[in-house]
Amino acid sequence: MKSMYKYIFSLWFVLATFLGHAQAQQSKDTITAVKKDSIKPKTERYGLRLGIDLFKLTRSFSEKNYKGIELSGDFKFTRKHYLAGEIGNENKTVQDDHLNFTTKGTYIKAGFDYNTYENWFGMHNMIYVGLRYGVSTFSQTLNSYTVYNPYPYFGQSPVTVDGTKYDGLSAQWIEVVAGVKAELFNNLYVGFSVRMNNIISNKVPDNFDSLYIPGFNRTYGGKFGAGFNYTISYFVPLFKTILKPKEKKKD
Amino acid sequence: MKKIFLLLVVVFSLSGCEKDDICDASTSTTPRLVIQFYESAAPTPVLKSVTALGVIVPGYTTMSFNGSKILIPLQINDDTTIFRFIQNGADSDLTNDNEDILNFNYTRKKVYISRACGYKVLFNLTNTNTNILTPDSDNWIKNIIIVKPNLEIENEVHVQIYF
Repeated sequence: MKSMYKYIFSLWFVLATFLGHAQAQQSKDTITAVKKDSIKPKTERYGLRLGIDLFKLTRSFSEKNYKGIELSGDFKFTRKHYLAGEIGNENKTVQDDHLNFTTKGTYIKAGFDYNTYENWFGMHNMIYVGLRYGVSTFSQTLNSYTVYNPYPYFGQSPVTVDGTKYDGLSAQWIEVVAGVKAELFNNLYVGFSVRMNNIISNKVPDNFDSLYIPGFNRTYGGKFGAGFNYTISYFVPLFKTILKPKEKKKD
Repeated sequence: MKKIFLLLVVVFSLSGCEKDDICDASTSTTPRLVIQFYESAAPTPVLKSVTALGVIVPGYTTMSFNGSKILIPLQINDDTTIFRFIQNGADSDLTNDNEDILNFNYTRKKVYISRACGYKVLFNLTNTNTNILTPDSDNWIKNIIIVKPNLEIENEVHVQIYF
């Protein structure tokens, strides 16, 4: 529970930084946009954006029980639509009241993002919603456990070292994404997204459960899950199109 | 957009309140051995209550029971639990005590419950009806019958004792 509060707090914190940042960025760019002459034809950039999840990266260094990396990418294919995905690997050891286990595995998520934000001219920020289909293959090792003992006549149950490794586990899920991406400098973006996950299929071990799924995060007994990432990414422009006046009027 | 964000954050926060961190008291966990007492002299089974029955596993404290049904824990780290069943052993009068030794043998199986509760142990009694009670010159227990060797839940009787 404590860690959950921490989690929520850091989430708010990150959100707050973003709101501040987005505003600063906006006003700066508005000024340059005003200064610029509008004789130049308006263009729309298309390309590939590649990034890394900073949260997983920093956590890998700060937490002894966690190693993880997530690379993300998106490709802009219409003015508002992006093909998007993440690929990652996690190795996490969890100490619960009666269980200690390690989950190791790889995941891939693929889907799209839809930018709901109307940018000012020359800006390429995003406030987006999206969908992902996630697949993970992983193993889970039961390191140790205690037998639940509500009648401690013989004293509290000792910790039993187990070490059973449950291989070949897998899960598939749908992820609803909402997030922001803001351009810090030329083509360099920072982004934050939250994700609501819903399990479609889950191959759980015999006499145990998939308590953590790489990419999906902690499971809650049902199908529900949640996650977030905090990315830094670089946009590689591949081509430009000139916006037609007609399209401009529509906006 | 802000509304969606707010909604997501709210859902997110609520997910932290799920009660799966605490093992619910109604969860079926490691079962105790359920023993029911009967009148040995009756031609058909008639329930009989024990009064001030003292039950001791050597090295541990005395459990005191009254009534016709008792629940006693088995050792989860051993395949045997030896009980001293002392008639009138839980009262202050030592002159009326009569001790019988009961020896329960079993196999154990660990079964996953949940994240919050971890594992439980289920037992399977390997005794026969006749090798539980250690015979002595003055057994107060006359007969023992295993009715349910698989110990899985506590709301059923596993062993009947006639005295």
